[in-house]
Amino acid sequence: MRCLTALPLAALLLAGLALAQAFGDKPPVIMAPIGKVQVRAGASKTINLDFRIGSEFHINSHTPKSPLLIPTVLKLTTPEQVTVADVKYPAGQDMSFPFSPDEKLSVYSGDFSINAVLKTPANITAGTYPVNGELRFQACDHSACYPPRSIPVQFQLTVVK
Amino acid sequence: MKRNALVFVVLFVAILAMLASGRYLDRVRKHGPIKLVGNVQGVPAPDFTLPALDGSKVSLSDFRGKAVLLNFWATWCPPCKIEMPWFEDLQKQYAKDGLVVLGVALDDSAPATIAKFASELGVNYQVLLGTDQVSDDYGDVQYLPTTFYIARDGTIVDKMTGLLDRKDIEEAVKKTLGVTPKVGSVLQNQAKAEVKAVAVKAVSAGDATR
Repeated sequence: MRCLTALPLAALLLAGLALAQAFGDKPPVIMAPIGKVQVRAGASKTINLDFRIGSEFHINSHTPKSPLLIPTVLKLTTPEQVTVADVKYPAGQDMSFPFSPDEKLSVYSGDFSINAVLKTPANITAGTYPVNGELRFQACDHSACYPPRSIPVQFQLTVVK
Repeated sequence: MKRNALVFVVLFVAILAMLASGRYLDRVRKHGPIKLVGNVQGVPAPDFTLPALDGSKVSLSDFRGKAVLLNFWATWCPPCKIEMPWFEDLQKQYAKDGLVVLGVALDDSAPATIAKFASELGVNYQVLLGTDQVSDDYGDVQYLPTTFYIARDGTIVDKMTGLLDRKDIEEAVKKTLGVTPKVGSVLQNQAKAEVKAVAVKAVSAGDATR
């Protein structure tokens, strides 16, 4: 009888552990949700994409100081009628770290924003268009580095006449 | 009411177990089981055969009887760059005692780029081109630098991740060089490997839910 009582408790414990593991692998960078993005047909729209880097991490800027370092890059895929006219990255901060005190690296840390400029033609049909993409980055902490990885970037662009 | 709750819990756990085993089996199909997780001290180091920068093929088992410092690194990893000259010095200093340093580049860069990088740092030890398989075999190496210290009998003495003091690295080298094969160590290692295999299955099943 005791075994029967203990079984569900053990099952719950195991399930809790499994769930804890399932959510334990958080990326070092997350993206803030994007609100409604609206553009008039024939016009351009600058969209601010806000990202937050975990407090113990930094990532290379879009223009790292060495060609061997992996830059942060935003890639967007748009429907045929919508074009990505420009992507503006913030300047990196020149920082040195305990692993290399004499060398300055160009990095992002904390919060940063990337501006994507989307352009629509005048003859585009009014409606909602999906924009998909990814932010690729390579993160390090004070003593080690993680392989490059990507997080998804997704939002809806509403075109009005 | 209690019975309903019990049924719900059992169903919930069964679904989780199915998801976990599905992911685990998928991973096993792609890469084989992950061989090293948790405390790896005393566990046989997984053998591998990898291409070296000079085009030759190098296996870990080629160095049985030597103490091996196996360092995973990448060209995009600034902390890795700090350790590499230390490994060069240690190789020079302890080669006569039986130390072999092997670098495994976990890198998408072209071999020529990796070779240039290693040459600029004056690397005097063998650099091998890593694969996902070897990364998985060594417990899914994600955090670079990661270094395994492997005794003369092929068992792992220590695993160190992240940039450490040179003093700590040298201590680990000395410890590894001092570990000599003992009578019966093969049997002990087999027993440990069997225990580990059971633990790996349990952990991998949990890991698979991630």
